[in-house]
Amino acid sequence: MTQLYFDHAASAPRRDEVVAAMEQWQHGVVGNPSGAHRAAREARKAVEDARDEVAAFLGAKPGNVIFTGGGTEACHLAVAGVVNKHRRNNPTTSVVVSKIEHHAVLDCVEMLERDYDNVSVRYVDVDAEGVLDISSLESQLSDDTALVSVMSANNETGVIQPIGAVASAVGGRSVTHTDAVGAAPFIDLVEFTKDIDMISICSHKIGGPVNSGALILRSDISFDAVVPGGGQEKGHRGGTVDVAAAVGLAAAVKATMKDHELTVKRATAYQDQIIAAAKQMKNCEVTSLNAARLPGTVHLTFEGIASDELLFLLDQEGVCASAAASCSSGAAEPSHVLSAMGVPLNKARGSLRLSFGGETKPDEVNALIEILGKVVSRLQA
Amino acid sequence: MKVLVAMSGGVDSSVAAGLLIEQGHEVVGATLKLWGGVSDSGCCSVSDVDDARRVAQVLGIDHHVFNYTDEFEKHVVEPFVAGHAAGQSPNPCIECNRFLKFGLLFERAKRLGFEKVATGHHAQVVERDGKHFLVRGEDNQKDQSYVLGYLTEEELSMLLLPIGHMNKTAVRVEGERLGLRTWDKPDSQDVCFIEASKGREVFLRSRIPVTSAKIVDRTTGEVLGETDTAELMTVGQRRGVLPGRDGEKRYVAKVDIASQRVEVGTLEQILISRISLDASSLTFSHDELRDGATVLAQWSAHGIPKRATLRNENGWFIELHEPARPVAVGQSVVLYRESEPTIVEGAAIVAPS
Repeated sequence: MTQLYFDHAASAPRRDEVVAAMEQWQHGVVGNPSGAHRAAREARKAVEDARDEVAAFLGAKPGNVIFTGGGTEACHLAVAGVVNKHRRNNPTTSVVVSKIEHHAVLDCVEMLERDYDNVSVRYVDVDAEGVLDISSLESQLSDDTALVSVMSANNETGVIQPIGAVASAVGGRSVTHTDAVGAAPFIDLVEFTKDIDMISICSHKIGGPVNSGALILRSDISFDAVVPGGGQEKGHRGGTVDVAAAVGLAAAVKATMKDHELTVKRATAYQDQIIAAAKQMKNCEVTSLNAARLPGTVHLTFEGIASDELLFLLDQEGVCASAAASCSSGAAEPSHVLSAMGVPLNKARGSLRLSFGGETKPDEVNALIEILGKVVSRLQA
Repeated sequence: MKVLVAMSGGVDSSVAAGLLIEQGHEVVGATLKLWGGVSDSGCCSVSDVDDARRVAQVLGIDHHVFNYTDEFEKHVVEPFVAGHAAGQSPNPCIECNRFLKFGLLFERAKRLGFEKVATGHHAQVVERDGKHFLVRGEDNQKDQSYVLGYLTEEELSMLLLPIGHMNKTAVRVEGERLGLRTWDKPDSQDVCFIEASKGREVFLRSRIPVTSAKIVDRTTGEVLGETDTAELMTVGQRRGVLPGRDGEKRYVAKVDIASQRVEVGTLEQILISRISLDASSLTFSHDELRDGATVLAQWSAHGIPKRATLRNENGWFIELHEPARPVAVGQSVVLYRESEPTIVEGAAIVAPS
């Protein structure tokens, strides 16, 4: 059976140039970049070359790139790092996040609030289209706000968030962080995140390896390490830097920048095509149709159909897709994002996220549309 | 045949899947995510899902997780809590089987194109003259026909119970032979949504205000003691009830939550010979049994079946041939055939008398 991969937002296909770039750092002697000999120097050079590439991806200074073991860790380092530093030096600390953040951020702030009596979390609403409500954000800011974290684009709906307005509303009174993991494949982050202090990205959503990401700083922000041991990454992240992972991330951002226009053009065409087809399907609604969205995501709800059944039949036909929200067991679960948007449960339970990219072929989109139509009418029969 | 196997993550359903594959069926595994809260046993926890998934991987079949947490809450947990609040003792496992496994899962399996659904229950489906009968499992100690008592022809004809003819030891031997990591996993015993370390009381207290009650001797009216949680007292029980002044054991005869009163009596005083059945729940596997039919009635998972006569006079009930301790309202009575005591003929929920 032909595999039709429409789950790029979960993990994008590994790019050939990434595999090629990582190749030499996965065999035999790979020096520890902290060492003082030839092998170490070679490794260190590769890491620093990679750092330059990643800095260019964000328009940041190379010295302000911290390699991490993925997007979740980058988000955690930003949020916990800033909050921990603040709460040690202030009587109270609040952290402001949107209700639709990825669990990388939500679970982190919940943990901090649980563990420290002087830390509180304030949640910012989104509107019915899933766009952050700036007035709600303003109402949550206070003198003790250490950090404001709002994602660049939502990983379930693909809705792009008003990050520039967030930065203006905060006006430098607190540190700002954005989880740009979902946005990275499609949005020029140099411009889009220019006013944000800390940006998290992740390698495997742009064709790089998993367990590879970075936290990028726009200025010299002071924050605690989460794993201090060893003092690597200027003391922000202890542990030997994974040369292959850094090189893989660099190759992925380089390819993403090179392909940017083509990726957006293709994905936009696929998105239009899928939405046009979805509009013809019974009881199907396109989520956030009136909001600015990433070109590579279409989120649909089918009233009266359970995601579990839809995904099962799609899987049987070779289509890899997602309900976008799943619990640790792997079961589809009602999404906190749709709940924050006020989408009723009977619709949310019939969620389907189709995500794709520049590598996706027109034939695959045609096949997907045909299969989806067939499966949906079967479940509605 | 295309078979959907409900895999709980335990050894029985693991082996059921393995045997069906060896029999040449096209098998897909599904684990039902039922309980959204904390769990330490039964078939709801993440580690059980992981076990089921790993077994499916080793067997080389697809595995899916179906989320039924909302339905489980609505059809199993809420009625369980409401039943206790009303002084009844519903059986959540029976309700889970009725509404989820053999209700929603069967419907889903049909929609998804499966011909049969299989589970790892210790019970058997026997076909005779074109009809399918539910029969006790081969292993007396593990027989689960009681919790499947409400199945009818339509469901039974679609059901496979691949390990029902085996005893538990044989199931474990097969599990080891198939290389399944669940082969020596301990049996689950308790209600899956109640943490064993905390028990029913903690669970109920987290959901409803519990009621204290006086424990009163039903003949003398003497107050023998008190309980913090009348909701947990079940008719027929002796545990937690002190003997009367005469030194004789006392048993719970009646639980009245509203008036905060638990009546107790001696064994002779509480014995009953008639059990009312809730007509809306009464289900016959095939043809309706006639008024006056003799049956073997069983009202707990591993209870001893008692000879009884089924009656329908101003409502259904059974007349026990020998008196027995009372049965709590909300429990299920499963009716087995008198002439062939392993065959299930129907089931019903106990109604107030």
